[in-house]
Amino acid sequence: MEKHHKISIGKVVFAMFCWIYAGISLYPVIWLLFYSFKNNSEIFVTNPFGVPTTFHFENYVKAWSQYNVPMYFTNSLIVSIATVFLTIVCGLLFSYATSRMQWKGRNVASVYMSLGMFIPVQAILIPVAKTVNGLGLDTTRWGLILVYTAINLSFATLVYYGALKDLPVELEEAACIDGANIFTVFAKIIVPLVRPATATLIIYIFLNAWNEFILANVLVVKDELKTLPLGILFLQGTFTTDWGAMGATMVIASLPTVLIYCIFSNKVENAMTIGGAVKG
Amino acid sequence: MKKFYSNKLAIIIFTLPALLIFTVMVFYPITQVFVKSFYDWNGLGSGTFIGFGNYVKLFQDTVFQISNKNAFIFSAFITIFQITLATFFALVVSNKRTKGRKLLRIAYFIPVVLSVTVVCQLWLAVFNADTGLLNALFKAVGINYQQNWLSDRYKAIFVIAFVNAWQWMGYQFALMMAGIKSIPDDYYEAARIDGCTTFQAHRRVTIPLLKETYKICLIISVTGGVKAFTEMFIMTKGGPGNSTYTLTYLMYKAAFREFRYGYGMASASILVLECLAITLLLNWLFRNKERQGYKNGKTS
Repeated sequence: MEKHHKISIGKVVFAMFCWIYAGISLYPVIWLLFYSFKNNSEIFVTNPFGVPTTFHFENYVKAWSQYNVPMYFTNSLIVSIATVFLTIVCGLLFSYATSRMQWKGRNVASVYMSLGMFIPVQAILIPVAKTVNGLGLDTTRWGLILVYTAINLSFATLVYYGALKDLPVELEEAACIDGANIFTVFAKIIVPLVRPATATLIIYIFLNAWNEFILANVLVVKDELKTLPLGILFLQGTFTTDWGAMGATMVIASLPTVLIYCIFSNKVENAMTIGGAVKG
Repeated sequence: MKKFYSNKLAIIIFTLPALLIFTVMVFYPITQVFVKSFYDWNGLGSGTFIGFGNYVKLFQDTVFQISNKNAFIFSAFITIFQITLATFFALVVSNKRTKGRKLLRIAYFIPVVLSVTVVCQLWLAVFNADTGLLNALFKAVGINYQQNWLSDRYKAIFVIAFVNAWQWMGYQFALMMAGIKSIPDDYYEAARIDGCTTFQAHRRVTIPLLKETYKICLIISVTGGVKAFTEMFIMTKGGPGNSTYTLTYLMYKAAFREFRYGYGMASASILVLECLAITLLLNWLFRNKERQGYKNGKTS
């Protein structure tokens, strides 16, 4: 009996610690949400910690209408979606060729492609900026999209390679006997079959592209092409005094990824951790 | 079928786009890092070859030494913080009898999906010496511990490391949850029948079986210290003085602010080598132990 009692006290202490840290983990985010609805005097003096007394929705109106937030938002959306699309198309095509098709050098090609897993983006910052500039892509969205695609390709090809290796060849054989060519087989059979891998990759690549900062910071030279992480930094430097509206821009920037996470939490955790595991 | 799978045109169409993008945007740049690190280059023209000149300068640079010291502090801090907490939380949350598991998981993981810019701005607001939440909190509770969190040259690096550790703890937590989920329930059943307490079962069964997960977690957090950049860039600009410089920040400053591209490339190549060395070392350490463990298991 005594032993049982001891364990339950331990459990209570453990559980309490878990909830306290959950507070440390979540409260700053909730605090941001709160202050995005407050005015300066409430943020600094009257009510720094709690729920806003009056909800200043005008902070959001101001952020959206005066601070170029729609422009940054659109840029982030275009860049992220284009990156997802391009990476998935190129990655799946490449993996199909290296896992199924027969040609000399296919092993070399897939090893070459997976080299990217060992290269930290920080390391290629300078030459990538030079290359993008040299190709004249630094004044278009393509600079960012192509670089994001390149850094995600290694991971995408590894995931697709694994998925394709697990698929039986019989379906393709049957289609081949029926006279379908390789392009039809790819579009009609392979693309639908690898859908789970595609879903994982969409989430992983979208979240990474949406939040990416280091490359965007050196690759985007025009104000009109800035993505949200850059936009927030720029606004913070320009409108330091308007805390409520700045809070609102940060909430708007975080909303898509937080919503995606809340809706597909298990899928997001899986997608993100597969990324880490492969990188290790 | 063989003919079907060796359609030359298809192979070219399938592989070319990926190979082209990867080669131009990742492979060519990484070769440039190593080649240009031997040049005195201001970003224009092709520069002049100076052998190991940049490396010699780099190793004499006090900022380089500070950067490495900071990488060590940063790595050590986030590794200890994240792995201890993530292990503990994963063990508690994976227990099906824990109440509110779903909510705890979400609370731990939410910071991971935020943009690092948002996270840095958020913590800047918390750590602000005059208007910050943390100092206000100390004042409200009546503890006299208010201070200039980010302008103290000894504390700043820890504050920054904390921000990173806070954001990515949930990531390590999710990795461990995935690792724990892959352990079959039978093992615990067996441990329970043998009379193990929960604590013993975790120490003898869960943690040894998570070896692969720990390896991944360690690689991510230790190299994370070497690669740290954004927190410094946004929160301290490497300051006060040079006290929060990292290798990436040194590289960034050299190339994009001082136009010493060759010097920047030299620090970039050191960055790659350090990350590679850490990855190889950890792989080797874990592989070695695996074999030893196996041997011990056999003899005992």
